[in-house]
Amino acid sequence: MSTRYAFLMDMDKCIGCRGCGMACKNFNQLAPDMVWRQVYPLDERIYPHRDRAFLSLACNHCDDPACLAACPAGSYTKRPDGIVVHHQETCIGCTNCIRSCPYGAPRFNKVEKHAEKCSLCHERLDAGLTPACVQACPTGALTLIDLDTFDNANAVQYPAGYPAMPRLNPSTRFILPRMPRVLRG
Amino acid sequence: MKTHEHLAGRRGFLKGLLAAGAAGVLGSGPGSLLRPHPAEAAPFDPSAYEVFRNACPRNCYDTCSIKTYVRDGVVQFVEGAPESTFTNGGLCVKGYTYPRRIYSPDRIKYPMLQEGRGSGNWRRISWDEAMSRIADKILEIKKRDGNLLGLGLTKYSGNFGITNYGVEGMMSSLGYTTRFVGTPCWPAGIDAQNYDLGDMWCNDPEDLVKARYIIVWGANPAWCSMHSMKYLYAARERGARILVIDPIFTQTAAKADEFWQVRPGTDGALALGMARHLLDAGLVDRDFVQNAAVGYEDFAAYLKTNVTVEWAAKTSGIPADAIRAATEEFAAAKPATVWIGYGMQRHTNGGSMVRAIDAFVAMSGNIGVEGGGARYGHLQTWGFNYHAMIQKQPAGSVGVRGASGPKGEFDFAGGEAATYSDRTLNINKTAQEILDARDPELRMLWIACKNPFAQDFDRNKLEKAFAKLEMVVSVEQFFTETVRHSDIVLPVTTLFEEWTINASYWHYWLSLNEQAIKPMHEAKSNIEIAALLSRAMNAREPGSCTFPQEVDGKEWMIKECNKGIYDLFGISSWEELRKGPAKARLASSASWHDRTFKTPSGKYEFSSALCARNGFTALPEYVEGRRPDAPFRLMTPHIQFGLHSQFVNLDWMEAYYPEPFVYIHPASARKKGIADGDMVRVFNRIGEVRVRARLSGNVAEDCVVMYEAWFRKLNYNVQNVVDDCAADMGAMKTGAPGVAIHDQFVDIAPADGGRA
Repeated sequence: MSTRYAFLMDMDKCIGCRGCGMACKNFNQLAPDMVWRQVYPLDERIYPHRDRAFLSLACNHCDDPACLAACPAGSYTKRPDGIVVHHQETCIGCTNCIRSCPYGAPRFNKVEKHAEKCSLCHERLDAGLTPACVQACPTGALTLIDLDTFDNANAVQYPAGYPAMPRLNPSTRFILPRMPRVLRG
Repeated sequence: MKTHEHLAGRRGFLKGLLAAGAAGVLGSGPGSLLRPHPAEAAPFDPSAYEVFRNACPRNCYDTCSIKTYVRDGVVQFVEGAPESTFTNGGLCVKGYTYPRRIYSPDRIKYPMLQEGRGSGNWRRISWDEAMSRIADKILEIKKRDGNLLGLGLTKYSGNFGITNYGVEGMMSSLGYTTRFVGTPCWPAGIDAQNYDLGDMWCNDPEDLVKARYIIVWGANPAWCSMHSMKYLYAARERGARILVIDPIFTQTAAKADEFWQVRPGTDGALALGMARHLLDAGLVDRDFVQNAAVGYEDFAAYLKTNVTVEWAAKTSGIPADAIRAATEEFAAAKPATVWIGYGMQRHTNGGSMVRAIDAFVAMSGNIGVEGGGARYGHLQTWGFNYHAMIQKQPAGSVGVRGASGPKGEFDFAGGEAATYSDRTLNINKTAQEILDARDPELRMLWIACKNPFAQDFDRNKLEKAFAKLEMVVSVEQFFTETVRHSDIVLPVTTLFEEWTINASYWHYWLSLNEQAIKPMHEAKSNIEIAALLSRAMNAREPGSCTFPQEVDGKEWMIKECNKGIYDLFGISSWEELRKGPAKARLASSASWHDRTFKTPSGKYEFSSALCARNGFTALPEYVEGRRPDAPFRLMTPHIQFGLHSQFVNLDWMEAYYPEPFVYIHPASARKKGIADGDMVRVFNRIGEVRVRARLSGNVAEDCVVMYEAWFRKLNYNVQNVVDDCAADMGAMKTGAPGVAIHDQFVDIAPADGGRA
């Protein structure tokens, strides 16, 4: 039985708190201005209440990662469990990966002059723990799934506002947000 | 630079490989020269760390239990304690910034003296020099006035760790001084619940899962108590309906089944309309109102005479049929509960609105019920010894005649008869009180666990008031606006550098706070600072300060504990808390479960003689709100990125929250010629704020919203335009009425030609 780890991002449960992103900074000791996970409010054309529904995105650990294909230094590897690992030590800072990723996952570290990105906390997974962002999520909006066994009819791969890239086949799955009945005074 | 084992190991190993490659093992990788094999990082190994127990001491519902991972004497990272079902292993966006806060380059590292307040001309001084200057000034004041009432303390909720009440203790140990009393936070609601129930005592929030209908009324837990959201979600998964009532379409509202955008300050009318409909529809819990309450018939008569659902609809803006439908659903669902937020009592009629909601919940029979309740807050788990706080004045101290003494919701000292007492000034009118203080004037101010220039109202007036002070001492971690208005700043430890113990005013967990690392730089805890001051005072004038001259933080933490605390939490000693936080052993998750109320009658009081004696109506009658004197109502609630002025200043937080906005409805913005992202002036008769506008239908057309925060690089302060108008209630239990923070009015205009 194979494993293909992925994030399930439940937009219906997400409160946009950014705890996921800050937990990532905290555990992975990122540079002060660096983020590996960002939380994006949905455009009002997609969700009519501004700043009230979100995509929490890090690396999507694609099936066929553009970053890996574009890297001239072999600094990207894909583990058998699906995790796309970037090796900062061999990164030459050419930014090919940053330009090739349609999701903006790899980011440039200006001080150390290399790319870096979400590791899916594989060091934690290998120790039997969940990724730092998943552990932090106070509402269960962010969870870790195994795509090989994941079965949720409500989950979508390409919600509005998220680039559809079938060739890369990103692993993240999403649940769409509902809206309350609104009565205004 | 701090590094994890698993990260450091990986980097170190590869650095070696690279060096070896360069030295001659060319072509080590397949198909290329000078390319080492990417190495797999070692699995994360928790055993490589020393783990300490900590607690987030900020003024927050959630008061998280923290696990702190230390290596080489350095905090490597933090996480939520998994033992607490409330914290549940995760902190919030603020809590995860703690490693940065400890090691921030912006921290105040040693005592400093500002040559010319506001000049920015700071120079480093020793602790000895700082304490000499402070002690000399205190003794000079005492000599000049014959008492120490010219020395004032303002302190509130910056750090709720119990040993930090040693700051109050330090003041008492010097003599009778001036204290700023009251709270800007929640006083009107505290008094309201005391009139109705005899105390403020909420259900265990973890029992929200049992509720079948939940009204979140003027609270925004998605931002301000995010650990409570999982209980709301769980309740909904079990079939509960969630209604959010708020003037703002909050993040919590977005997660509800239904949202009512109530006109601000009319929540009381809405609650009374709902109460009237309970009456009309025959949905009143007869058993409760007849057997567990007094004054119900009077209240029912008031409703019949003065309240209709149509009137409530017209006043609040919520359609009558929606009011009726929700009331019927609420009454049919057993149990049903209302979470009463602190925001909705920050009005000139705030206490009366809380009383009206209490009455609605009481009539529905949901008081004293698991999964029910009119939830506001509690202090049931705060029965510490207050050893640090309770210090004796030196012999012969002179103060205000009589034993009026300071008051506060966290004042557990109890009143003991004394000839003299401290002078109390209203914390919610800090600026005016400093300006008005006479006989003696306020000459010196000690500021700890508080940032008056970020929290206190009418900032322009506060500047004038501070100009009157002869010496200002701030105990701080960062160069805040208040520090800019100080003469001396003393560096205080973070929670990771001191021992203390923490309880919550919402959940029922108790957390130990261990010293995880040595104090950074020259930082000292509040009680260590008090001991140092005592040494300086006694060196100059023996007997002038009773505070111990040596303190051991751990010993002082232990001295706060007692058998009552141990029994309540089912532990034999504080040391058990090293294994993780403990939860109070509750006979029931419901407050008032035995229907024995702490009111004078021992019952729920729809009609409160005490309330009438204190100058309000005996019944929870409708009281109209503050009248506008400018076109827009301004609301300045909390954002998830900060707690008052804390956290937003950190560069880590700037990565997620770089800039504040004023939120304005698109239709109103259009009328004012304001486009999204424009620089605007938000102004009224007391001041102005320049900030970028963000157009949002989340606010009503006649409202604008700015979130309270301190940005280290921006000149942004909402208190420029928030005045010190009082709320109705609060004086009884907290010593001063609250503040009508959300009854503020402003105008708005494009600034600098708009697109700056």
